[in-house]
Amino acid sequence: MENSSVPSSQRRFFLTVLLGAIGAALAALGGWPLLRFLAPASKEGAGGKVSLAKDAVPVGGVHFLQFHGQTAVVMQQKAGEFTALSAICTHLGCVVQWKAQKGEFVCPCHGGRFSPSGAVLGGPPPKPLESIPVVLSGDQILIG
Amino acid sequence: MNPLSRIIDYIDTRLGFREIVRNNLTGYLLPRNVNSWYTLGSVVLTLFALQVLTGILLLIYYIPDTEKAYASVGRIMNEVPFGWLVRYLHIVGSNVIIIALLLHMLSVLFMGSYKRPRELNWLSGFGLLNLAFALCLTGYLLPWSQLSFWATTVATDAAGAMPVVGEKIVHLLRGGAMVGDATLGRFFALHVMGLPLLLGGLIGFHLFCVRRVGISKPPFGSEYTPPEKSQIFHHEDHPGGIPFFPNYVVKDLAVNAFFLAILVAVAFFAPMLFIPPTALEPANPFVTPPGIKPEWYFLWAYQTLKIFPNKALGLAAQGAAMTFLALLPFLDRGPERQPARRPVFVTCFVLGLLLFVAISIWGHYS
Repeated sequence: MENSSVPSSQRRFFLTVLLGAIGAALAALGGWPLLRFLAPASKEGAGGKVSLAKDAVPVGGVHFLQFHGQTAVVMQQKAGEFTALSAICTHLGCVVQWKAQKGEFVCPCHGGRFSPSGAVLGGPPPKPLESIPVVLSGDQILIG
Repeated sequence: MNPLSRIIDYIDTRLGFREIVRNNLTGYLLPRNVNSWYTLGSVVLTLFALQVLTGILLLIYYIPDTEKAYASVGRIMNEVPFGWLVRYLHIVGSNVIIIALLLHMLSVLFMGSYKRPRELNWLSGFGLLNLAFALCLTGYLLPWSQLSFWATTVATDAAGAMPVVGEKIVHLLRGGAMVGDATLGRFFALHVMGLPLLLGGLIGFHLFCVRRVGISKPPFGSEYTPPEKSQIFHHEDHPGGIPFFPNYVVKDLAVNAFFLAILVAVAFFAPMLFIPPTALEPANPFVTPPGIKPEWYFLWAYQTLKIFPNKALGLAAQGAAMTFLALLPFLDRGPERQPARRPVFVTCFVLGLLLFVAISIWGHYS
């Protein structure tokens, strides 16, 4: 039996749109769980303070640690005076190293130099190292 | 001319794209009475692709270390968004693949499609079935649960029944006297790299054979006549048949959708169908849980070992059965494929199937 009231080109167009819509719906159904599966864990990079024993940071020295999924560095330049910086170079994301003799941070990738306060001393970094708040609580340092 | 046509023309001018489509899709003709059983090969291919995809995703979070494997699987199930879905699809998919492979093999047997000139199709297909079994076995150990540990202990121990070399093979499989770190390393490497590479190569060869020899005509209906034996290569074509695309592809898609629907339904509503309680406890090498049983598709082998008075005989019986199946096209050489005209074969087929089911049920309840 043939339905001659609808031209075949219209039927084809309708079927193409219908198949496209079903395909898009299926792709969305499969794509959403896939995206969520691959997304980084939500707790990473999120918030609370990170604690560290005061003894871990020697006077005049530094201590590198993981802070909200990234590398940070805590310093004690004078006794009882703690500061913290992001250890991620602002040029291309390498982790800076502490040069005790020179009293500055140097990026091993492209030679970027930073002062203990994070200011750029030389090399390609476009901006200072990010500063992180530090609070003393008994014998613990609270970072963040 | 619209942009899509221009792109297609551009490719066609350089690669002869339209000719490939014509020769392999729209102009590739299949028998008019081709039935749904012929689509099972594509179902298996789709399911293998799904296993590869879900397997790669699981690799992102799985840690192949005896100290961390069980916890990493727990994390996939409980913390990673939709991790449970990916893992259930992988587990249920492995079982549905075996079902589809067995149905594919049974339909090929029933319709006599393994016969000359398709002996190599059969052999490569039989190899694929065994590789699928090996993938299931190696994958079973990876979660490092009680079930993983002890099922692998029992399965690898069975190889020890082989005369002379048995013990050495058990050591080689386990990488030591007991299942442990070395076994996990070996099984992991085999499961994610060694066996999939072999499988990919063999699938390629199987598809090459299928395409090169041509699809067999279903041996039903009054117009069917057995093909004549030919001493030279002959591609079986089907003038006046239905085109592969779109006619047959629609049938393929429908059966694929049916199997995927079953897979998804089990993954959502009855995932524990293939996960016994012992799979929910971390491996403990000092405590064997009672009633450890292999997966349903290995129950026949498990029970066969128990039926015979010693393991070597049981293993020999399994080997003989598998060798007989592998070599069937070289033993059953008559050209007749129509089941109604092969009463002895059909009787053996039905009895063999019943025996497989009966021994498996016996194994389950023993």
